[in-house]
Amino acid sequence: MRMDRFSRWGLCIVLGLLVVAVAAPWLAPYDPMAVSLPDALLPPSASHWLGTDQLGRDVLSRLIYGSRISLSIGFIAVGVAVSVGIVVGASAGFFGGWVDSVLMRLVDTLLSVPTIFLLLAIIAVDPAERLLALTSWPVLGPFFRACFQWVDPRIVVLMAAIGLMSWMGVARLVRAEILSLKEREFVLAARVLGASRWRLITTHLLPNAMGPVLVSATLGVGGAILTESVLSYLGLGVQPPTPSWGNILNEGRVALGVAWWLTLSPGLCILVTVLAFNLLGEGIRDRFLR
Amino acid sequence: MSAYLVRRMLGLIPVLVWITILSFGMIHLAPGKPTDAAMQFNPRVSLEARERIAKLYGLDQPLHRQYLSWLGRIGRMDFGRSFLDDRPVLDKILERLPVTVSINLLSLGLVLLLAVPLGVFAAVRPHALFDRVTTVLVFIGYSMPAFWLALLCMAYFGVQLRWLPISGLHSLDYESFGLLHRGLDTAWHLVLPVLVTAFVSLAALSRYTRSSMVEVLRQDYIRTARAKGLTELRVLFHHGLRNGLLPILTILGLSLPDLIGGSVISETIFSIPGMGRLFYDAVMARDYPVVMALVTVGAILTMLGNFLADAAYAVADPRIRLGQASGGVA
Repeated sequence: MRMDRFSRWGLCIVLGLLVVAVAAPWLAPYDPMAVSLPDALLPPSASHWLGTDQLGRDVLSRLIYGSRISLSIGFIAVGVAVSVGIVVGASAGFFGGWVDSVLMRLVDTLLSVPTIFLLLAIIAVDPAERLLALTSWPVLGPFFRACFQWVDPRIVVLMAAIGLMSWMGVARLVRAEILSLKEREFVLAARVLGASRWRLITTHLLPNAMGPVLVSATLGVGGAILTESVLSYLGLGVQPPTPSWGNILNEGRVALGVAWWLTLSPGLCILVTVLAFNLLGEGIRDRFLR
Repeated sequence: MSAYLVRRMLGLIPVLVWITILSFGMIHLAPGKPTDAAMQFNPRVSLEARERIAKLYGLDQPLHRQYLSWLGRIGRMDFGRSFLDDRPVLDKILERLPVTVSINLLSLGLVLLLAVPLGVFAAVRPHALFDRVTTVLVFIGYSMPAFWLALLCMAYFGVQLRWLPISGLHSLDYESFGLLHRGLDTAWHLVLPVLVTAFVSLAALSRYTRSSMVEVLRQDYIRTARAKGLTELRVLFHHGLRNGLLPILTILGLSLPDLIGGSVISETIFSIPGMGRLFYDAVMARDYPVVMALVTVGAILTMLGNFLADAAYAVADPRIRLGQASGGVA
């Protein structure tokens, strides 16, 4: 009951962030990329609410634009994770036998290797270079080139990598749900009526297993945003000058002693956002699953 | 008991196989061929010479045979040599391992010391003021980016107040100190890294302790213990916690990957010469042998930790080992 009020706050914050991300060009008081060296490292004031960074860029504007990166990486990475998790979990639960053991041992393995190790190892083999090589393909090359002008291939890699390292929880959930649903009478009834395997899985089993997946996806958005900020902080995620909350922190690290506002505000943004998604996720769990 | 442990150990084999397949696959995804490093820019190396060298290292073999011979080398703990300084990878890892393991053990101890009492006291009166306050704190702690906390602590305690050192393991004049002074100096440098590392698992663990204890405290034997007139502390920590701690052991084992992974972040921020820092530097320098070896070592350390947690669970709870040994349900 008590969580309900908190989770409403969570929902409000998430919706507010979405508005900020969509309306960034109208909300941001300055151009987030505009370098102005005379204004470097100004403390918060009436003209720059959250101060400026080493290159004189307005921190508030960079944070507002950074919300776009953080939220889109969060949502898309979770989309990837949920899709992979559903496919793996449903196959393992439905087919059982050796399919189940091979897939579930893979899940155990990925859960036993520190996620950040795997992510950094993936980034170390430079997958973005591979993606860029696609632009020289004979027919599809121009199409890929247009895509990469629109979105940086390194961000594509980041979204995919974070997603591919976080599907294991969803796979376990879906598998467990399907194992128990499989024995229920309505599934038996559908089977007797001659439903195909595909139909059994997609219309009878999966829709009934979606509740826990929704909760874990909501919690996962917060986790993905946190992971992105860690990678960007380490200088291996979103690359400057594109602003992301993590790389603003990275740039602020050098001026830690003199410009506290460069470290305080991006961290608060990450904290509040992740907190909001966690509260929302717990709220959905309390509301619908108990 | 030993039958249970042997079965658990056998269960680790498929996981090990997957780990080696993943590491091997990643080595092959890495751009460039191993022979490039030495010869790509040397025009005097002919094509035949390259093929000869590829043959010498077995690079002309089919993939599965290369995998098996690589697996054989890993089995002999031969992880190859670093691209950076040509030293054996194993030596580089072994000299860094003690630092990381001791920081993680210290923070694990600290977490247990703090999280368990917090969880127990929150569970005594669920939904009372103490419980509500800790619930809110736990939620905030759970969402806190640890590296940001580290930065804030560095800025405040290190730069602003100058109470604590902010980087490295030793002071500059460490060599001139006596033995006791050296120990104190190192401990002083460890305060911030250990606190920050502990903070990550603190929130989750106190939450699990709370929910586990709430369950336990509802049991009849707790009412019996209270009815006997035992002091509240004895009821909570002797009768309650002994049972409430069991699930915590498993959670502790499961949180190991995060702990080891977290050392990449904290060691990079505090410039501590440990395994995490080595990993970060290897990634930045694209030193693939070190990266892959560390992925494997990280996974093996985690599995070892999980195995120890399982063993401890079996020691603490006869139901587990007996239930398994008789082939019953887990």
